[in-house]
Amino acid sequence: MELTREHFILLLIQKIGNKAVSIDKSNQLNTVLKVNKYNLLEVCLFLEKEQGGRLFTMVGTDERKVTGYFSLYYVFAFDKYQVFMTVKIDIDEAEPTFPSVSAELPAANWYEREVNDLLGLRALGHPDRRPLVLHGDWPEDVYPLRKDYDAKQMAPRVENRESYMEYEGKEVVQIPVGPIHAGIIEPGHFRFGVVGDTVLHLDARLFFTHRGIEKIAEGMSLDKALLLAERVCGVCAMSHAVSFAQAVEDAANIDIPERAKYLRMVLLELERIYNHVGDVGNICAGFGFAVGISHGSRLKEQLLRLNEHITGNRYLRGIIALGGLHRDISSDDLKLILETLDEVAKSFDELTEILLSHDIAVDRMATTGVLSLKQAEDLEVVGVAARASGRNVDCRKSHPYALYDKVKFNVVCDEHGDVLARANIRIEEIKESMGIVKQAIANLVEGEVCTKVGMIRPYTIGIGWTESARGENCHWLMIGPDNKVFRYRVRSATYNNWPAVALAVPGNIVPDFPVINKSFELCYACCDR
Amino acid sequence: MLEKILLALTQVILCVLLAPFIQGIIKNAKAKMQNRVGPSIFQPYRDLIKYFKKDAVISDHASWFTRVTPYICFTIVLVISLMIPMITLSAPLGFASDLILVIYLFALSRFFTALTALDAGSSFGGMGSSREIMLSAILEPALLLSALAILLQIGTTKLYVAATAINSAPGLVLQPTYFLAFIAMVIVIITETGRIPVDNPDTHLELTMIHEGMLLEYSGRYLGLMMWASQIKQLLIFSIFISLFFPWGMSAVANDIVSLGLGLVVFILKLVCLGVFFAVIETMYAKMRLFQVPRLLASSMLLSILAIIITVVK
Repeated sequence: MELTREHFILLLIQKIGNKAVSIDKSNQLNTVLKVNKYNLLEVCLFLEKEQGGRLFTMVGTDERKVTGYFSLYYVFAFDKYQVFMTVKIDIDEAEPTFPSVSAELPAANWYEREVNDLLGLRALGHPDRRPLVLHGDWPEDVYPLRKDYDAKQMAPRVENRESYMEYEGKEVVQIPVGPIHAGIIEPGHFRFGVVGDTVLHLDARLFFTHRGIEKIAEGMSLDKALLLAERVCGVCAMSHAVSFAQAVEDAANIDIPERAKYLRMVLLELERIYNHVGDVGNICAGFGFAVGISHGSRLKEQLLRLNEHITGNRYLRGIIALGGLHRDISSDDLKLILETLDEVAKSFDELTEILLSHDIAVDRMATTGVLSLKQAEDLEVVGVAARASGRNVDCRKSHPYALYDKVKFNVVCDEHGDVLARANIRIEEIKESMGIVKQAIANLVEGEVCTKVGMIRPYTIGIGWTESARGENCHWLMIGPDNKVFRYRVRSATYNNWPAVALAVPGNIVPDFPVINKSFELCYACCDR
Repeated sequence: MLEKILLALTQVILCVLLAPFIQGIIKNAKAKMQNRVGPSIFQPYRDLIKYFKKDAVISDHASWFTRVTPYICFTIVLVISLMIPMITLSAPLGFASDLILVIYLFALSRFFTALTALDAGSSFGGMGSSREIMLSAILEPALLLSALAILLQIGTTKLYVAATAINSAPGLVLQPTYFLAFIAMVIVIITETGRIPVDNPDTHLELTMIHEGMLLEYSGRYLGLMMWASQIKQLLIFSIFISLFFPWGMSAVANDIVSLGLGLVVFILKLVCLGVFFAVIETMYAKMRLFQVPRLLASSMLLSILAIIITVVK
């Protein structure tokens, strides 16, 4: 018999309730289970391995002034039941450690290193002790996300103790690349251990664009923090804005008008379409296929101009409001969207036909940069990269927001896991997205586009998520007094996917790295924050 | 004697001045075919002027090799430019205009470039030179074979003799050996000039570079000289191709202004056509996997050998 959502939650509580110190069921979709930190590993393993949950996000907070403790929240998503469960542990300042779960759940690796850097909470037994977010010239005992750290102060720089992967051996050559690159791309340092032109190992050092967005957000009013959320990343601006707005709406427990939900879907899909079109063109740049590059950028430009016409911003900034949209979209504009999409669809079909029938292009993409299903599952890879490896995750289907449960679309999967599969997924998803836009516009109802967000009870947690072009973006928000942000954690799709790039590259040759990297198309800014 | 010296000087200066123009034509033609406005055909000149005005920064780890190589490479292409018939059917350094010598002079310049790329100890330079040397090990015999397929028929290794022979008997070109050698040589030229599908001259992706990878450590006038030398090299390779496959229009005498002028115009026209031709190929293809390039060159060699067999059997 299929379990209902309520039964499933009850079942979980029945099985691990005895480990719980307290259970908070105030949010129907997200039960918070507080456990003793020594039971953390057992509970997490139970939720992930036995119940098929996946680690959605993990947040560390400094609640010393509220509860007297630091807290960690491990949020697990259960796709089958469209529900979340949060495991919370309290950590005493006198003993700021907790047992690491990374050895068993590799997906927790970065999260645990991050709370060590930013909050000074050390994961005991973590396999990798290197700093993640803060680089080696940051003083060792300064933790920026602690409430007693003033964001305006300058941290003194210390002698760099950054350590990189070193490769040894007679035939092994080490190739350091970046963080400054020749093209106009974001900074990241890559270290290849190669034999001849074949890559043995890749170590990626990121977080060069860490701007402390989460710290700046603390104490900000929600309206202002929305503007910040839109600027986490350039090409996922809409997805981040909606995620943040949904987190606030979740905390405030309000429902936004139906028209706003439909319009948000239209805008979110427009973002996906322009990203995917541009990314397919960009993959061509990895092997110098000029026709693909120029047509890709031409079509992307056409879509960006459409965005500008509708919202006044090429990257769709400034239209999302807490509780809906700042302004309505006129029926003329909606007609223009449909017309432009039809035009783009036609040209894009031509482009894909040229691309997929080009022998060299297909040869360069097929079997290059394979990410296996096992690797994708262990690292909890999301988005296009996951679906290309046969991992069926799409939070539009598994945790529907807006009105994604009211429109028909397929989650496109492939099992090859190579560059070609990732390109194909994008090509197919563009068609699905165009279908969603058409349905949303056809079903659109008249009415208001915004509801008011009232005062939210302090220390309420809200989670908002959207499926961006790169995968799910998850915003975890704890509201403070006076509707201000107390703690804000952005977990973008790229945060999950970057470790996967390092696994997909070994075994390939060095000149294939750019095309592999482009096929994942990860932004650095929304990973580094 | 005087007019010979004058002609030699003209030919060198012509090569040096015309090379960036041909580069500009190719870049602009590519842009036009890719739906872009593209840079002006005179952009390569502006780039060179810019490089020569800039300071040259050289790695502390680099030896005198790095400083000397640009001059060596530039000198080598200047010397070669005297060995190839361009406007007239004779070459100024006719007695030395042996194709084998030309090919190995190119190899000499490649040797210095590859060695210098290792000099500063940067990993990109090492990658670039190891790839370049790997390719050139196959490229040189392929170039030699494709040229020999034609030269064997005429019975010489001197380029100007071959050009004269083909000029006076155009029927030669219609033979199947010519056709085979033509395709073989086109493949070789693409590789030798570092173009798609072998190398991408316009890429900024350091990890995929072959020829450009070796120049990454250069800046200022050194970079300018290296770029200029490779543009001249491209023009020279085109000229070899022209003198082997369509030498018609070259002036047979060295003292008639009208026929020299006509030769010059025809020569430039042929270069422009070749440039556009290679721009079309670059637009149609994508860069192939690095380790498949030897296969492409092997197919070029196969065609040449076929052509040679046909000649020998006849």
